[in-house]
Amino acid sequence: MAVAETKNLTTLQVKRFKPSDNPTNTYLTDEKGLWAWMTTVDHKKIGLMYLGAVAFFFALAGFLALALRTELWTPAKTFIEADTYNQLFTLHGAMMVFFVLVPSIPAALGNFVLPMQLGAKDVAFPRLNLASFYIYVFGAIFTFISLANNGFDTGWTFYTPYSSDANSAGVIWVTLGVFILGFSSILTGTNFITTIHKLRAPGITWGRLPLNIWALYATSIIQVLATPVLAITILLLSMENIMDIGIFDPALGGDPVLYQHFFWFYSHPAVYIMIVPGFGIISEVITTFSKKHIFGYWAIALSSLAIAFIGFLVWGHHMFTSGQSSVATTVFSFLTFLVGIPTGIKILNWVATLYKGSIDMKTPMLYVFVFLFLFTIGGFTGITLGALSVDIHLHDTYYVVAHFHYVMMGGTLMALLAGLHYWWPKMTGKMYNETLGRISAVLIFIGFNTTFLPQFVMGAQGMPRRYYNYIDQFTIFHQTSTIGSYILGVAFLIILYNLMKSLINGEKAPANPWNSRGLEWQATSPPDFHNFDHTPVIIHGPYDYHQPMEEFQLGLAVSHNGHGDHHEVTTDETEKA
Amino acid sequence: MANHSATHPAHVQHHFVDSDQQFESAKLGMWVFLVNEILFFGGLFCAYIVFRAWYPELFTQAALELNKLWGGVNTIVLIGSSLTVAMAIRSAQKNQTKGLRINLLITIALACVFMVIKYFEYEHKLHLGIAPGSFWNPTPEILHELSDPRANIFFGIYYMMTGVHGLHVLVGIGLMIWLYIRAGKGHFNSEYYTPVEITGLYWHLVDLIWIFLFPLLYLIE
Amino acid sequence: MSEHNHEHHISTAKQLWLVGGALIFLTILTVVVSNLGLPSPLDIIAALTIAFVKAYLVASFFMGLYWDSKFNAMLLVGALVFFFLMVSVTLLDTLYRVDAVPSF
Ligand code: HEM
Ligand SMILES: [Cu+2]
Repeated sequence: MAVAETKNLTTLQVKRFKPSDNPTNTYLTDEKGLWAWMTTVDHKKIGLMYLGAVAFFFALAGFLALALRTELWTPAKTFIEADTYNQLFTLHGAMMVFFVLVPSIPAALGNFVLPMQLGAKDVAFPRLNLASFYIYVFGAIFTFISLANNGFDTGWTFYTPYSSDANSAGVIWVTLGVFILGFSSILTGTNFITTIHKLRAPGITWGRLPLNIWALYATSIIQVLATPVLAITILLLSMENIMDIGIFDPALGGDPVLYQHFFWFYSHPAVYIMIVPGFGIISEVITTFSKKHIFGYWAIALSSLAIAFIGFLVWGHHMFTSGQSSVATTVFSFLTFLVGIPTGIKILNWVATLYKGSIDMKTPMLYVFVFLFLFTIGGFTGITLGALSVDIHLHDTYYVVAHFHYVMMGGTLMALLAGLHYWWPKMTGKMYNETLGRISAVLIFIGFNTTFLPQFVMGAQGMPRRYYNYIDQFTIFHQTSTIGSYILGVAFLIILYNLMKSLINGEKAPANPWNSRGLEWQATSPPDFHNFDHTPVIIHGPYDYHQPMEEFQLGLAVSHNGHGDHHEVTTDETEKA
Repeated sequence: MANHSATHPAHVQHHFVDSDQQFESAKLGMWVFLVNEILFFGGLFCAYIVFRAWYPELFTQAALELNKLWGGVNTIVLIGSSLTVAMAIRSAQKNQTKGLRINLLITIALACVFMVIKYFEYEHKLHLGIAPGSFWNPTPEILHELSDPRANIFFGIYYMMTGVHGLHVLVGIGLMIWLYIRAGKGHFNSEYYTPVEITGLYWHLVDLIWIFLFPLLYLIE
Repeated sequence: MSEHNHEHHISTAKQLWLVGGALIFLTILTVVVSNLGLPSPLDIIAALTIAFVKAYLVASFFMGLYWDSKFNAMLLVGALVFFFLMVSVTLLDTLYRVDAVPSF
């Protein structure tokens, strides 16, 4: 037995719990069968179910993207009608944003690792967690059917007056669907905030929180503050559509630009709901594979909060050409530049973390490099777009399309893939094929740039977004882009193959294949049903690679039904070991 | 509370260390949810402020159609129900199941009174043709008083705000009935009354929203 | 974690009735003030001041924030701050348009 001093100076009796590499009892062997999965309140299983659902919708929306790109092979009609084209890009955009990117990292990977990184047995409200999953699935299917069924073609932004017009049938169904999805997002956010505040294992002070947790914390705050505004906005929109209440209708004295304010009050912060959890993953992976303490822990932790805050005040940069007042435009432009600062701070700190680290180019780390490269381009072009006069030229061109694909796909999705490959052994207990993993990362990098780099060029030359036809001069750019999208498609198939194959005959994963100091790696792979069968006690930060591994494997020596007793201060009864 | 026995009390879920942690978590969770609610209504308040700043005459003119007296009575009814919810929590804390049930019952009754008054207010307006959006069809006298062509914007906002608020009251009534039934089964005592506490928080928020809706809609002229 | 292990606060019946009474008094007061016909910005300021006092009473004593963890109070204040940011930044546009809503 040993004695551990936790920050608030209670002395706890601890001993070492080395995770077994050959667990007999795991969450996957516990509670088997379809019904047990469907009714489980285990955060790990819920996380996996989210992962499955997100992957499914990603495949569907990705397939639509390939159809769109194929249509753009020739300047005129290639194989689908113009109306179909409009409906397809609406479907693609709405699905990618609302079904995939918003829930992907927090609800799928976050659900899995958040309680483990906190040394908790579950999230604070496990049943709410399951409910949020079903609300998500129901909302997604509902929205999908309403979008497809009504030939909805407003784009994912549902701008008024086009969307409130009686001709856009089905607005009410689509908005209802998005409303339901928002609920799921709100519940996840509420759950995470509470869990992070109340369920930390002894010794996890705010200064010892993994940066992934800080990122999920900032994300949850944004979710809680922004999503309800989306809810009320689309409620107003559907009322406008059903009975012309007039708030967004200029013919009645209302204001369609007010709709844009409301929409972007949610949707700009929503882009941070998508990217900030990605930042968290990058911090975890980059330290593990550099075997080094993160550079600028507090800078990275607090810049997430700064982004969350400033991110609420820049929404008007989507409306520079909408007719909003020039006072507002100027302020929004200025604030948009400001939001680049905390983002830049993060990038610089990650790069500084690499300095003199012992870098191991495993698959997750390769994705981190892809992320750093692509997201930096995406961020810089965002600043370009935030400059007023430049944006007047670039607004609604392919330049914007390229920008947000660089940040959303090049940022969020690359972080997701990094996290997926990083935590895969923990989630499934299996190792994937490393060579194939690296090949897919390189292929994604090539495919991605082939697809989206030409879009910057043609956007700057004036190719508008959401157009079915284009003039001949843009053919070469569009065709390059289409070829790139096929490369991406192949790369994703390789990833799918690699991961699925690992499930069938992958090597068995040890508890801590990457030698990480993170708490989640001190559980077995896959973890026990209760994550840990002891109460972990933390005495070092999650990136203290200069400390011996044993000191990251401590747990309460005496445990009351698997929990430490928090009220028992053992100062006087401790036997010094 | 030193030295917990080795078994959890029945109401503590397995992933919490103790009753206290569970209670504090539930309360924090509810507060976070209330933040949601505030921003949800915040969108409507924002629309209200924007249009009021644009069309001040419209708002003062249209507000005359709302009945201050009934609005005021409803405010007092809701405040009364907040008081009884607070008393209900107090009863639970003191192990007085009977007091808890009586207070819940009064709360439910007051909430129903609120909805009935609201119903008559709506009814009266619809009768005069002061209906939302495309149902807008005011009688000639009303049209005379309400000459502003944008009048239905005000009532669009009015119906949205009070309608969404009314839905919250209905949900609250449902929750109170649920609590009442559980209290009858003896589920609550001074050791465990978390659902009463957090439903109470929700109910007070519904009251808070109304505290602002009342002067903004009824009292501006 | 759960540092406060003390008993939950229990308000006395008298306290609660007093707060309830004050709220009803303020409701009547705000109606009376609105009937005074104060000039334009004053009437709104008066109505909102009273509303905020009422909100403070409900939040502090009925919702127990007065005795509760400061973080819960911070959540409430934070929500209001974000609401004010939302409104004021939106007003930066709507108040400064050359022509608010062109057709009107
Ligand atoms: C440094 C940070 C960023 C800045 C300064 C920035 C700036 C901008 C600006 C000014 C626009 C408007 C362009 C226009 O429509 O004319 C824009 C569009 C967009 N940005 Fe960013 N952005 C940043 C990061 C991000 C991130 C991280 C994401 C998502 C993960 C994102 C997603 C989007 C999307 C989806 C749009 C287009 C929305 C639409 O009209 O459909 N941005 N960005
Ligand atoms: Cu934006």
